[in-house]
Amino acid sequence: MSQIVAIAKEEWRYWLRSRLVQIGLIVFALLLIVTSVLTASRVSEIRHDREHQQEQAEQTFRDQPDRHPHRMVHYGHYAFRAPTPLAQFDPGVDAVTGQSIFLEGHRQNSAMFAQARGTARAGGFGSLTPALIYQLFLPLLLIAIGHAAIVREREARTLAPLMSQGVNGPTLYLGKGLAILTLIMGLSLPALFGSGLAITQGESAFAVLSLYGAYCLYLAIWGALILTVSCLVRSRGIALGLLLLVWIFSALIVPRIAVTWASYSLPSEGKIITDMRMNEDLRKLGDGHNSADPAFAKLRSNLLAQYDVDSVDELPVNFRGLVAQQSEGELTATLNKYAEKRMSQELEQSKRLDSFGVISPYVAISAASRALAGTDLSTHHRFLREAEVLRFDFVQGLNKAHIEKLSYADDMARNKDEASGKKARVSSENWQMLQNFSFQPNTASARFGQAAASLLSLLIWLFGIVFIGFFASRKLQP
Amino acid sequence: MKHELFFLLKDRAALLWMMIAFLSAMVAVLLGLNEVHQQRTALAELQKLDRVERELTLEEQSDWGSAAYYTFHLTYDPPSDFAFAAFGERDVSPWKHRIRMLALEGQIYETDADNPDFALIGRFDYSFVAALLTPLLVILLLYDLRSGERAAGRLNLIETSAGQASRVWVTRTILRLIGLYIALLIPLCIGAAIESTAITTLVGASLTLLFYILFWGALVYFIANAKRTGSANLTYLTGMWLFLCAIIPALLVLGVNNSVSLPDGGDIVLTQREAVNDAWDIPKEVTYTPFLERLPEWVDYTDWDGAKGFEWKWYYAFQQVGDQKAEALSQAYRDGRLKRDELTSRFSLISPASFIQRHFEKLAKTDAAASFAYETRVRNFHKDLREWHYPRLFKDMPFDAEGAIIEVPLYSPDATE
Repeated sequence: MSQIVAIAKEEWRYWLRSRLVQIGLIVFALLLIVTSVLTASRVSEIRHDREHQQEQAEQTFRDQPDRHPHRMVHYGHYAFRAPTPLAQFDPGVDAVTGQSIFLEGHRQNSAMFAQARGTARAGGFGSLTPALIYQLFLPLLLIAIGHAAIVREREARTLAPLMSQGVNGPTLYLGKGLAILTLIMGLSLPALFGSGLAITQGESAFAVLSLYGAYCLYLAIWGALILTVSCLVRSRGIALGLLLLVWIFSALIVPRIAVTWASYSLPSEGKIITDMRMNEDLRKLGDGHNSADPAFAKLRSNLLAQYDVDSVDELPVNFRGLVAQQSEGELTATLNKYAEKRMSQELEQSKRLDSFGVISPYVAISAASRALAGTDLSTHHRFLREAEVLRFDFVQGLNKAHIEKLSYADDMARNKDEASGKKARVSSENWQMLQNFSFQPNTASARFGQAAASLLSLLIWLFGIVFIGFFASRKLQP
Repeated sequence: MKHELFFLLKDRAALLWMMIAFLSAMVAVLLGLNEVHQQRTALAELQKLDRVERELTLEEQSDWGSAAYYTFHLTYDPPSDFAFAAFGERDVSPWKHRIRMLALEGQIYETDADNPDFALIGRFDYSFVAALLTPLLVILLLYDLRSGERAAGRLNLIETSAGQASRVWVTRTILRLIGLYIALLIPLCIGAAIESTAITTLVGASLTLLFYILFWGALVYFIANAKRTGSANLTYLTGMWLFLCAIIPALLVLGVNNSVSLPDGGDIVLTQREAVNDAWDIPKEVTYTPFLERLPEWVDYTDWDGAKGFEWKWYYAFQQVGDQKAEALSQAYRDGRLKRDELTSRFSLISPASFIQRHFEKLAKTDAAASFAYETRVRNFHKDLREWHYPRLFKDMPFDAEGAIIEVPLYSPDATE
């Protein structure tokens, strides 16, 4: 044990003497601090804006004057998605998907105005976030610092004297491993600090710690890989070249090929064709603005029988409102059917993409990180579903006012002249039924469940490499 | 020279890196060709469906107002002959879009976006191989030229026997760069041949790539030296790559986005919605005044026929007024995006990786400018639709489904401004 600690201490002493290591550590520390601060301030600004816009939208809706209730159905409302607290560490899909949806009767709009569309394009890797630096670039620093750990001793011919002092291969492996592990713990501190800030904004400590743990796991995989390669090869140059090659494949090539493969093997149908199909289905349902549409004949005869009257004018409720209510319900069922189909297809694509985590730990950590931070695709889908519930509720709330608060006779005469138009209105008190909307991330345990598969492949990676490395170190010879 | 070529062919590591370059470029080209093919097939099918659907819809109508309301029109931006090499904006901006004669500002920002996870990670296209992978391969090919010989104890021997010391290193560097260039160029030429890419485009891309490789070759030549070990050279150069290919572009994006602010897109749609919604409640003249300012030719046709309670011409007039009210914001949004793109373009020379990426997207017509051009074509087409429908609506012409099917404007992707 003391031998292991001594080896680790010696390795640290070696590192701290190297100018390259000093520069690398300083550069990365700066990079992490700067991106953390910038991302956190940008995300908190966005959150503040969205929350404000949401309140304002609610206020505007409730402040509308007396109107015909169906006019408010078309007036519509907005749902905004405020970023989750951990988005300041990993903004995930937030930049690519729109963050607000316009909600109105008879339609499900898509989220508009993604930041990615208005942003400058300068190639590279786009905007840097703390998550991206940990996922993509920190492994490079570890490679630069650690690749020589064991092979250096071999090149400097210090391996033989070391081993003659009773240091065996596994001890050397564990000692150097301890040094790299402490380095990783040090490098991961900004992540702990950055994501820990989220706790002050109401994020659960469990989510923060599992996110932190996932990154430690990921970096540990690289640490173990670096040691194993350093143990197996004959020269530093080969170790470095080989590790860079692994990095290029795992971080640059495989993830992008995975994207192209997922989109090739499961092509998205596209909104236009889906809309065409959907419109065909919707036409069969009848037009809810036209109470004479034959599609509502059954509703009419049922109502006439129920209230025992001869015509819709005699009904105690507004027939046009009932038609609007029924048609909105049927229409929404159809819209939801298509929306669910699209979402489940997207999830299936993403699952195929994530399955490449078996070949590339980068794919696994990025999927796990988005899931744990609540910035993944399925969270965005939940936002779409919650916005849809909000839409349906306020539209049906207005239809209810249409049925109960506005007489059929006034309603039918609404276009006769200005006075009749004024009569065909309901009081603005009816707009107060609008629910407040505030998007919250999933519970920490649900997010952990989403990340479980990716975390498992990270664990398998770690154990696999440590096993190989340990085995290789037993055969270590000068 | 001959001797050096023989030497290169025996250098297994160099051959490995060139092989990786060739395979990456080949895979990128094949995936790109496939994607472009999928997009074209989808567009051909959409054009057919769009026509059939419009004909069926028009046959069911009885007046011009509902004909315009219920018919959708497909607009699209087909992939160019070089799009296979750089997807660019096409992952985040729409390249197909159906519009109708309602207020355009409420429709034009909708996207038919693909899975957001895809845009987040990015695609494996040729421009990625060229801009980000190629520099790493140049580094891996050249970092150990001198330090490797020193480690093998041959450095002095080679430098003294060559007469002029630098000559042998320059020759070796250039031979390796040529090998890499050929490995990258062959797949590009195959792709260009299949797509019948314009020769000027191909030459432009090849020359850009050549200069890019030479730039990185020179950088490695001057930074890597024999005094350091090979692994120290490689570490410094990888740091250089990180700086030029990741950090500088990110700073550029940050700087440009911060110096040019965009109006909130949501405000455009909101303004337009408010205008359109309010129109139902306000006197008709209030709608017609700004409408007639823009289109005075209809001044004698705006009489209100109170018996109907609703008139299509008034409905479309307030749709247009909705667009007019949002015009300033919408223009500011477009100007802002244009300004951002211009600034990025001007400063992209500070990062060669940004420059080559942008240049490839420009050649492939998948850059911001191409996306603006498409948006402009959609706006012009929407204007054509209005101009075609207004006489029929305002003069209350009898509806003619047959005539509508034949004569209604059809979007053309080649229309120029």
